[in-house]
Amino acid sequence: MGALGHFLERAGIPTTSISLVREHTEIVRPPRALWVTFELGRPLGIPDDAPFQRRVAKAALDLLARTDGPLIADHPEHVEEPADFTGWACPINLAPTAVDTLAAEIDRLATWHDRATARTGRTTVGVSGLDMPAAGRLLSQALEGELPEAQALKEAIDDLRAYYLEAASAFPDAGTPAMRKAWLWDETVFAKALLSLQPRLAASADPQHRILGNLTLIPATERHRLAKG
Amino acid sequence: MVKRLSDMQEVEANHLRRIECPTYDDTPALAGKPLAERRVVLISTAGLHKRGDRPFRPGDGSYRVIPAETPARDLVMSHISVNFDRTGFQQDHNVVFPIDRLRELVADGAMGSMASVHYSFMGAFPPDAAQPHATHLAGLLKQDGVDAALLVPV
Repeated sequence: MGALGHFLERAGIPTTSISLVREHTEIVRPPRALWVTFELGRPLGIPDDAPFQRRVAKAALDLLARTDGPLIADHPEHVEEPADFTGWACPINLAPTAVDTLAAEIDRLATWHDRATARTGRTTVGVSGLDMPAAGRLLSQALEGELPEAQALKEAIDDLRAYYLEAASAFPDAGTPAMRKAWLWDETVFAKALLSLQPRLAASADPQHRILGNLTLIPATERHRLAKG
Repeated sequence: MVKRLSDMQEVEANHLRRIECPTYDDTPALAGKPLAERRVVLISTAGLHKRGDRPFRPGDGSYRVIPAETPARDLVMSHISVNFDRTGFQQDHNVVFPIDRLRELVADGAMGSMASVHYSFMGAFPPDAAQPHATHLAGLLKQDGVDAALLVPV
């Protein structure tokens, strides 16, 4: 991100930016940065809080008046930690059983995903161009047979991830995003499939498969699950 | 609350520490008009694009075009990283791509105007791969009358 500030400003376009990782910004030194303490993935702070977001955007834009860069200004507002979710359990029976399959799980979530889409008027699913049963089949194929091309597999998996988390947001007692991510990794056949797939990708002769397996499949915070096998 | 890397979960902090950051000679911050007279472009590095546009791939330093009138339901994200939250974007695109907030700032008179077209890169790019695209983009921005860019990471 910070690199773009250098490139554009040198080409004559004044820039201001938001910084999520102060240590990175201190190294890259873009012309102007507003440092925020929000969660990665949420540079404007709080979804559906327009006044909060507007204050962040305005604070970053106000830095354009300054010519004493490279500068990092600290945004004065923070987002409070979500409440501890110890003991929270997914309120409906979506947990896998011994006979459950990925296809059945994907199918069971469809009505919840419909509900989520109806509420927000949108979905972020749709990078791969596949419908969700087809995305699931591609993942199953990767587990059982020949590995598909890395990019197609990555897009299908990211679509499934978005589908699961959007669907879970429409559960009757949906909890916080952190709870829903915990549900995905603790409870679903989908997550088990990803964890099973990782060693296959990491051992592939195709470097794109290895990038996917080692870097862009399992979040750093969930990789401890791999060691457990 | 996330403050410094030392306040983050250890595995997340270690992941971020391993990311190699480029260094540059200082770039002078250009002077310009008051914000109320500026035309501002929004440039995200969240790997956003319209559904149906080419998804981003590892090493991709190019950008995707997001016209200002793009409906939120057409926006998808194909950033290669899995190490940031996406549920915020799923709930409200403005938490990543604050296009409606810019629109409000224009309506309030705080900002002059908004570019007709906005852009997204995918932040995991190697800087050398993005530089020619960014330099070319600067020319397009000038043609659109843009005189300020708000750069938003993810």
